[in-house]
Amino acid sequence: MTIKNALRDYGQRYRPRMACLRKAEKVLLEMQDPCAGVKSQPQRLVITIIPHAITGEDIIAWLADRFQIDPQEASSFGSMLVALGYIYPLQDHKRLVIKPDTSLYRFQTPYFWPTQQWPVEDTDYAIYLAKRNIRKKGILELHEQEQYNHLHKWMNHKWDFIVMQAKEQYRAAKERKKPDRVVFDCQERAYWVVHRPPVRKHSQKLPLNNFVEVFEHDLPRPWHSIFIGFKSKFELDYSKKSNFVWASFLSEPFTCRSKIVGENLAFWEGCEDLKWGTAVAMKEKAEQIYKTFLARGAPRWINIDGKTMEITVKGLKHPHRYVLDAAQTHIYMLMKKDSYGRYLKSPVFKETLKKAVNPEEHKFNEVQLEQNARNRRPSLSPIIIRQQEQEQRAKMAASAPVDITQVMSKLSKQGKEMGPRHSK
Amino acid sequence: MPLVNNKVGDDCTASGDKALADGRALVDSLIKVVACYRHLASCVGGCTDSLQLRDELRQTREKAQKLAGDICHHLTSHLRDKSLPEEQRKEMELLWVAFSSCLELLHVDMCKVLNMSGIFSLADSATLVHTGQEGGCSEVAARALSLPDLNEAQAKTLPASLESQERSTMELEVNQIDRMIDDMEMKVNVLRWMVEPHGPQYADPLSSTDSASMALISVDEEQQAPRSQPLCPRSHIFVLLLLFGVFLVAATLSVCVFLFS
Repeated sequence: MTIKNALRDYGQRYRPRMACLRKAEKVLLEMQDPCAGVKSQPQRLVITIIPHAITGEDIIAWLADRFQIDPQEASSFGSMLVALGYIYPLQDHKRLVIKPDTSLYRFQTPYFWPTQQWPVEDTDYAIYLAKRNIRKKGILELHEQEQYNHLHKWMNHKWDFIVMQAKEQYRAAKERKKPDRVVFDCQERAYWVVHRPPVRKHSQKLPLNNFVEVFEHDLPRPWHSIFIGFKSKFELDYSKKSNFVWASFLSEPFTCRSKIVGENLAFWEGCEDLKWGTAVAMKEKAEQIYKTFLARGAPRWINIDGKTMEITVKGLKHPHRYVLDAAQTHIYMLMKKDSYGRYLKSPVFKETLKKAVNPEEHKFNEVQLEQNARNRRPSLSPIIIRQQEQEQRAKMAASAPVDITQVMSKLSKQGKEMGPRHSK
Repeated sequence: MPLVNNKVGDDCTASGDKALADGRALVDSLIKVVACYRHLASCVGGCTDSLQLRDELRQTREKAQKLAGDICHHLTSHLRDKSLPEEQRKEMELLWVAFSSCLELLHVDMCKVLNMSGIFSLADSATLVHTGQEGGCSEVAARALSLPDLNEAQAKTLPASLESQERSTMELEVNQIDRMIDDMEMKVNVLRWMVEPHGPQYADPLSSTDSASMALISVDEEQQAPRSQPLCPRSHIFVLLLLFGVFLVAATLSVCVFLFS
């Protein structure tokens, strides 16, 4: 693959993301200004002193002062800069948040700034892991080890080059002075924490919102409507059990086609659970999935082709996280191309969609109405507060021109005061 | 007759081996230069960015381009030679894959440097980001150019209008590399995924006496890491040695005090 093939992502997310990155870069350049920026201090590492370290509390104070916002918002904004990769933490480097204390951070070098024009390449990651392997004498973290093996498998043809380039970069780094070498290593490590984060392992079932996000990213958008349609029903279940309840969703009276979709979805969810769940429960889960979906005469048998079934069943003898990958991909492709398309045309789905777009009015019974009245907050409805804010804004706009940021901050402060004032 | 044939065969393989060895040496040099170029590129826009760094980048880039041109010519001519024995062809293809990957890395780094030098002008040094680095990269550049030491005097005589000239030159060079990659794809049809590497999956840990800098970062990491992970044995030994040294010093001092009191 040459560079030309992988240049620009002019998709939906390109322009807004580029605009966001440009703004973040402007803020960052202001922050690192030696006179008016965040005050820096040296970092002590055993006997080495490295300059230009900044504390979390200083960053938050600077942002709050610069944009006239409260510390919580400044903290969120700061965390966004860290998550994007413009600032990196020196301690606890895997957590990309700003801590409001004396934890140290540093500005990332422009070479590692996020940009849409040069996508993050797997070749670079492979070289980085190979270098890390050399430095740490073969002791890589678990997720790094997995990635390394995975990359070795599919980039096998250029592995000699990757190893050689890693060695040369390592040797070139040794030519630099020790503090600069340490800084470069930290910069590179931070870059890869942002772009190849360690995989999260869930020890419990995914909550609903995560699932919707996962589906939004992985599947075409209309999937989302299925969850919207049923959200009201199993939000209640979810709140009762604090587990994501597939059973309630799938026990709805479906037609045959919908049932197939349901089984496939359930299988997909089981595979995800196996992939991201704890290692201890893996064997059990794999057995459960086999008994429920794959075995002959299983209650929720899924229709995958013979070869995939053979590979999967064979793999299940010695189960690991990715043993169901082949079957999962097959089901996904099946849904995407076939049964999901048919499901979209089915009357059940159309009804669900109608309910999602125009939900029925919820019919409260008398007991619920009484309870709602008791729990109601004694303050103005947020809709009315917003209307009042808008009226005030219109009045201010009509009067003499003033500094907009002052006006907005005054309005937002007034909005906040109105709430508690009316409760008295 | 057979003797003559063998002799011809030997000559062929000998020259083929020599061509392979030359090609390998050239590709190894290019890999080294590209690795150094990456280190230099990582300093652009930071507080160590200077005319000297930009000049070192230019020199490294020129060397890389010269090597790339030589390798391209060498490999293309040999791979288009239909009489090349099968084993040697496989080795050449391996070199070709390494060369094209290297060229892609170089191309990306050159584009990044071009972009960053447009954003971070040396005329306005207040915008250079405080990254925490203090030293230059002259030693890295010297390594790339295979020189014992870079002549610093050379950098000071650079004209102030270097930047604008640099940008236009760099743009031309980036386009040149682009065209080279395209030409190679057109002239030689190597199926990359069919190539089998020789080397191991894991690079051998180099005989590094560089545990010190790694220890600095690992001290930082281990301070925050959960205690469930065992400490790296290397830093463990380092700490033990330090304690032992301190104990020795304390013992010596106490003996001295005892003797003199």
